[in-house]
Amino acid sequence: MKNRYIILLLVSFLVMGCDKFDDEINTNPNLPSEASGTQLIANAQLWLPGLSSSPQGQFLAQYLAETQYVGVSLYPQQSTSFYGYYQGPLMNLQEVINSESLSGVQGPVANQKAVAKILKAYFFWNITDRWGDVPYSEALKGSDNFTPAYDTQESIYNDLFLELKEANDMIVSGSISNDLVYGGNMTKWKKLANTVRMLMALRLSEVDPAKGKAEFIAAMEDGVFTSNEDNLVFRHLEDANNQNYWFSQVVNQNREWWALSENLVDMMKPVDDPRLSVYGDPARESGEFIGRPYGQEDNLGTEEHSLLGSDIIAQDAPVYLVTYAQVLFAMAEAVELDWIEGDTEELYKEAIKQSILQWTGSDAGLEEFLNAAGISFDGDNALEQIAVQRYVHLFMHGYEAWAEWRRTGFPDDLVSPAGAAVPTRLSYPDNEAFTNATNYKAAIDRQFGGDDSIYGKVWWDN
Amino acid sequence: MKNKITILVFMALFQFTSMVAQEKTVTGTITSSADGLTLPGVNVILKGTNQGTVTDMDGKFTLMVPDNATLVFSSLGFATREVQVGNQLVINISLTEDLEGLDEVVVTALGISREKKSLGYATQEVAGEDLNLTNEQNVLGSLSGRVAGVQVVGSSGASMGGTQKIKIRGVNSIGGGDQPLIVVDGTPISNANFSGSDQADYGNLGQDVNPADIESVNVLKGPAASALYGIRGQYGVIMITTKKGKKGPKDINVQINSSFAIEEAFNFMPLQNEFGAGSSLSFSTLANGDPYVAVNWDESWGPRMDGTPVRQVFSFYPQDPTYGQLTPFVPHPDNIKDYYETGYNLNNGVTVSGGNENSTFRLSLNDTKIGGVEPNTYLNRNNVGLDASLDLTNNLIVSTNVNYATNNARRPQQGSEHGTGYFVQWFQRNIDMNRLRDYQYPDGTYLSWNVRSPNTTTGEIANLNPLYWNNPFFDAYENTSEDRRNRFFGNVGLRYKILPELELSAFVRSDMFTQNIENRTAFGGRRLPAYSVGKYENQEMNYELLAQYTNRWDDFSLNVNVGGNIYDRRYSYLSMGTVGGLSAPGFYNIDASIDRPSTTSYLLRKQIRSGFGMASVGFRDTYFLDASLRNDNSSALPENNNSYWYPSVSGSLVFSELTNWETLSFGKLRASYAQAGSDLNPYQTTMAYGVGTVYGNTNTLFVPDNLNNPNIEPSFAHSYEAGIELRFFGNRLGMDFTYYEQKNKNQIISLDVSGTSGYGSSTINAGLIENEGVEFTLTGRPLQTENFHWDATFNISRNRSMVVELAPGIDVYTYGSTTYSGVTSYLNSYVGQPFGSLIGQAYQRDDAGNILLDNSNMPLYTDATHNFGSVLPDFTGGFQNTIRFGNFNLGAMIDFQGGGQFFSRSKMLAVRTGQDPITVAINERGSSVRDPLDQGGGVRVIGVSAATGENVDAYVDARSYYRNVVGRRIYEEWLYDASYVKLREVRLGYNFGESILSKTPFKTAGIALIARNPLMIWQNAPKGIDPSEISTGSQSISWYESGQLVSVRSYGVNLNITF
Repeated sequence: MKNRYIILLLVSFLVMGCDKFDDEINTNPNLPSEASGTQLIANAQLWLPGLSSSPQGQFLAQYLAETQYVGVSLYPQQSTSFYGYYQGPLMNLQEVINSESLSGVQGPVANQKAVAKILKAYFFWNITDRWGDVPYSEALKGSDNFTPAYDTQESIYNDLFLELKEANDMIVSGSISNDLVYGGNMTKWKKLANTVRMLMALRLSEVDPAKGKAEFIAAMEDGVFTSNEDNLVFRHLEDANNQNYWFSQVVNQNREWWALSENLVDMMKPVDDPRLSVYGDPARESGEFIGRPYGQEDNLGTEEHSLLGSDIIAQDAPVYLVTYAQVLFAMAEAVELDWIEGDTEELYKEAIKQSILQWTGSDAGLEEFLNAAGISFDGDNALEQIAVQRYVHLFMHGYEAWAEWRRTGFPDDLVSPAGAAVPTRLSYPDNEAFTNATNYKAAIDRQFGGDDSIYGKVWWDN
Repeated sequence: MKNKITILVFMALFQFTSMVAQEKTVTGTITSSADGLTLPGVNVILKGTNQGTVTDMDGKFTLMVPDNATLVFSSLGFATREVQVGNQLVINISLTEDLEGLDEVVVTALGISREKKSLGYATQEVAGEDLNLTNEQNVLGSLSGRVAGVQVVGSSGASMGGTQKIKIRGVNSIGGGDQPLIVVDGTPISNANFSGSDQADYGNLGQDVNPADIESVNVLKGPAASALYGIRGQYGVIMITTKKGKKGPKDINVQINSSFAIEEAFNFMPLQNEFGAGSSLSFSTLANGDPYVAVNWDESWGPRMDGTPVRQVFSFYPQDPTYGQLTPFVPHPDNIKDYYETGYNLNNGVTVSGGNENSTFRLSLNDTKIGGVEPNTYLNRNNVGLDASLDLTNNLIVSTNVNYATNNARRPQQGSEHGTGYFVQWFQRNIDMNRLRDYQYPDGTYLSWNVRSPNTTTGEIANLNPLYWNNPFFDAYENTSEDRRNRFFGNVGLRYKILPELELSAFVRSDMFTQNIENRTAFGGRRLPAYSVGKYENQEMNYELLAQYTNRWDDFSLNVNVGGNIYDRRYSYLSMGTVGGLSAPGFYNIDASIDRPSTTSYLLRKQIRSGFGMASVGFRDTYFLDASLRNDNSSALPENNNSYWYPSVSGSLVFSELTNWETLSFGKLRASYAQAGSDLNPYQTTMAYGVGTVYGNTNTLFVPDNLNNPNIEPSFAHSYEAGIELRFFGNRLGMDFTYYEQKNKNQIISLDVSGTSGYGSSTINAGLIENEGVEFTLTGRPLQTENFHWDATFNISRNRSMVVELAPGIDVYTYGSTTYSGVTSYLNSYVGQPFGSLIGQAYQRDDAGNILLDNSNMPLYTDATHNFGSVLPDFTGGFQNTIRFGNFNLGAMIDFQGGGQFFSRSKMLAVRTGQDPITVAINERGSSVRDPLDQGGGVRVIGVSAATGENVDAYVDARSYYRNVVGRRIYEEWLYDASYVKLREVRLGYNFGESILSKTPFKTAGIALIARNPLMIWQNAPKGIDPSEISTGSQSISWYESGQLVSVRSYGVNLNITF
């Protein structure tokens, strides 16, 4: 076989990669790379109604009983996530607090930061009251710390007092824009900061009364709510993008799953409480207000029990979060605790009046109600009366009512469905056992002897 | 045996330019060793040259040769033979049929044809006709069980071209996004999937390839085989080679292929037929004393269906003939089955192919019409394909391959609380499905089965709007989901032979599609009326330049490829949905939105520029060594770190060349090492804010949940592979064994982090995931007589994926989670454990394993942190048989999986809602578990009291036990083994013989009976759930089932004619 060497000239074309690309190619055209402080704050404010609008909160306070798919109201041992608050409003607010490039065009930078601090404190207060110790000082640091340690509830409270005070002090004149709750009115933000601080102080009535008293008085001196106009209310809109949770459930999804509880109706109906006809509708079958026994698993109940009132499930229903009546109830209690000077009865009556005005928009029926048996002030039973009326007032803000129940023990007739007592905290998110295992374990060991139970008690609850 | 006429079609590919000095003329006749018949179309080549000829119709050839010439005789389907001419003037030889194709040429990366024996890594080829055995709706599903190491998890035929997920060699990516690249004639095509885990399953886009165009599919497993595709070949490549026209004397072939099959729903979950709708054993009554069905319940915990006359739901409609009447309360055992229709699959294809001395041509048309088993569902698909080439000069060839596909479908909804999967989840056993079919009364009122309770005083239901569920026929005909896709892909290329050994080629390749998806929610249903529409456009261009040099010197052979590629992708979509309802019934338009509609406009751009080189050296056709190097530059990586290199090397030794042991026909050892680099999707390296809800006039913005990473680096997969290939007894028995290991380092993933950091996840370079596995294929012809051949291929493979390392301080990666009724389960991967553990709520047990019970004797359960182990199978495989006897041929395909597990929400809910037979079982006391406890009823519970530590053996109320505890919270009960053995396809064909055909204008004609999905031979999971069809939507790992579509099987007939 013949072979020939062939001399080749290999002319090959090689498109060698070039690593320089058009500058724009990896810039995301679909999302903004800059956000103003007030837009971030506004987004955080969209989370406010979620602090109240959930069936779980209403079950913990036993305001509502489940009609058909009875389950969550039986207090199953199940975890509840707090991630949404950290990733949602808190991270937005932290971004504002950390920012060194806020624009004064949308209001004084100090005021933007103060509002961010106040809202951050308010969210954290809600979180720690529900779960106990939670990540706080090491939280919200992104890649600098993916596994934040849990701070004790006591240290969180202490820091929140300082933060709220600082926010109050840093506010300057000049309103901010994009404020969904107070329209930029900084006086109201100041009052909110001090009111939250005051209500937080009252939480310490059992665990650290001295500290509680001092903070309570200091907060009052800085100026708390003076009328229902000051209330922290999230106003839903007649717009499906910004609608009330209960509207989407009951009206949009046909879920007549919640009736007023028997406890609540039995508390209100015999004394002709003017708020009852706002809270619920008469039962369709009888035309009477009839509560549904809490935790009952049989009998459907949509026809024979009172379902949620039309104002409560309206698309644009307001969500009351921090209210003037709470301030008055707190002051009434503080007088009884000898924290402040005052007339308990006057404060008690004023609190009820402001509550009825808040809920019904008029004082019709107020006088009769204040004179009804068990409602008219009884100095020997003042703490219970205050607590029970506060409970009625806090309707649909079940988490707050539940916190006050844990602190005061009132109302004392909550039931134990299928033998399960009312929980005293929420269980940490499942994911913490995966993603933050060491700190999670340390927290449950420290507080609850290693069991992340819904019956563990938070620091101030003892 | 091949018949002469078809063989003629395979004319020689060689062109004769000039003849060198000849010294004598040799003639001969070539026959087949099997039957002695003459063989036309055999290539006769003078070894070491490109000169030669082709045998004529009678198998004869004539060729001028030099004195000491060696002739090489080769023909498709036969073993190549070399003959020294010596003094001979007449050479009559016979060729042996080659079962495997000893010198099989396979298409490797970038479309480079290589002799299979020279490859140092595993590839496996499937013939197109095998894939198209029974007209699978989604052709990729036909790969199931055919290739060792390739796992296909499919979806029900009711989805009509629904998702078929392909996984090559197990889980290679922590994120699970490890779908192989699909390449058609060198053009990478998108295999994207627009489905979520619920609602319509639009299927993966790879199915736009016309099955009738597929000549063969070659699966390149692992990066070794696909390093030349770079990033996108990291998880393997599915190379599809399409059929072409043939060069040669002018010839035209027309082929017509028609098939018709009927499709039927089957494999229904067994349900109880004793108790009907409601929550208690007795009926509620109206004021007049009439008992009525608990129409507001979507569960079957109600009274016994004993024929008691009751007011049923229909009797509350004034328009209904039974209005106000009592009718017997009886079961409707087939009420779910009654919903389904008989579907059909009609497929018609025509191809025209041909060629002459300097051109080839093939045009194909295909039309598929599928009518689903679910009412009002269909898929229409059209394919047009053109493949042509033309020799402009002797050295310059221009070629093109263009494919156009349209899909037009109305598909059923599926998944949790969507579509008909809810029948077994939430339903009344007493519903007569046939009464629901006319879902609208003449006055326009819609008929529902689930409405509010009647007012007992008036005996009327004031509000007859559906409560939690629509009438399924209302959903089918009013709440429709439609999708349309226009797809174009193909290439245009030039190939220029600079020298006989050196070829330059340039290709422009394109894949473009526009996907439209539209959903309607009608007035009168349980949901707010709505309309949504999305238009998704993708354009991927590849510009490719390649130089190939091939030569031989004595014992050495050399193949060098140097090339470059620019990949350019532009993807955009507009998607919009109404919010707050529609302004007018029947007006399905974004303009009808009551409130500010939701809108998204999105653009993605990405470019990768690559250069690569590859060299392959062979010595004496026995030793082969390959090496490659590639450089990628990705626009998606940070600018200072966007260029990276990676090599591969492989070798093989054909040791059968070194021995004279005749039993061994072929033996090869091979080994390889390869790296493949990988990048990420664009826009993950810089911070951007999320756009939040607009409140009034305030536009809100938020910090996103995923933390982007400006310091991300490319990741690399390192793979090692070794294998042996053996064939014995003249290729009648063959086996192939492969061992591989793959280490994926620095994988770019979005790692879930504690939300308390302010982010839910972060894009990071994480860890190390290791795969190792074995693949084994056995092929053989166990029986062979003159008129009978039985060919069988068996393959089995096993893969283990381990998570070795994640990120500092984090040892869990959450791949996915699913939540129902506030109970979540997860698919997690833990450092040091096999990939993909199913995590959920289990029974609380004491140290001895006894179930702990609460004070009501109900089982206690853990948090959703119990590890149930990996969901991935221990092994998968297939068994394919082809039997030919005379003109008949019989093909059967079995595939199987051992191990793996999944969670079934359907089964759990069937129990929870009192539909499962277990909820009407007879207990150990001889009573129905539904009977009251004090009458001997109840479910027996054995365990230990958590409070007292004492043993408990007690009876508890069945409804509380199944509905509130076991069927709602204890996921341990609802995990099933995913093992199965399935007969997937059977085909019995008959090819008309020459004696008949000679009287017709036809060259060939065949008819076949086909059955797809005829039989699940064995499965461990309960009846009604098909573990091979739990692929819902685009999740790349199937680990839970939440309302899968009903299984479908089809029977039909196929006619194939060429003339």
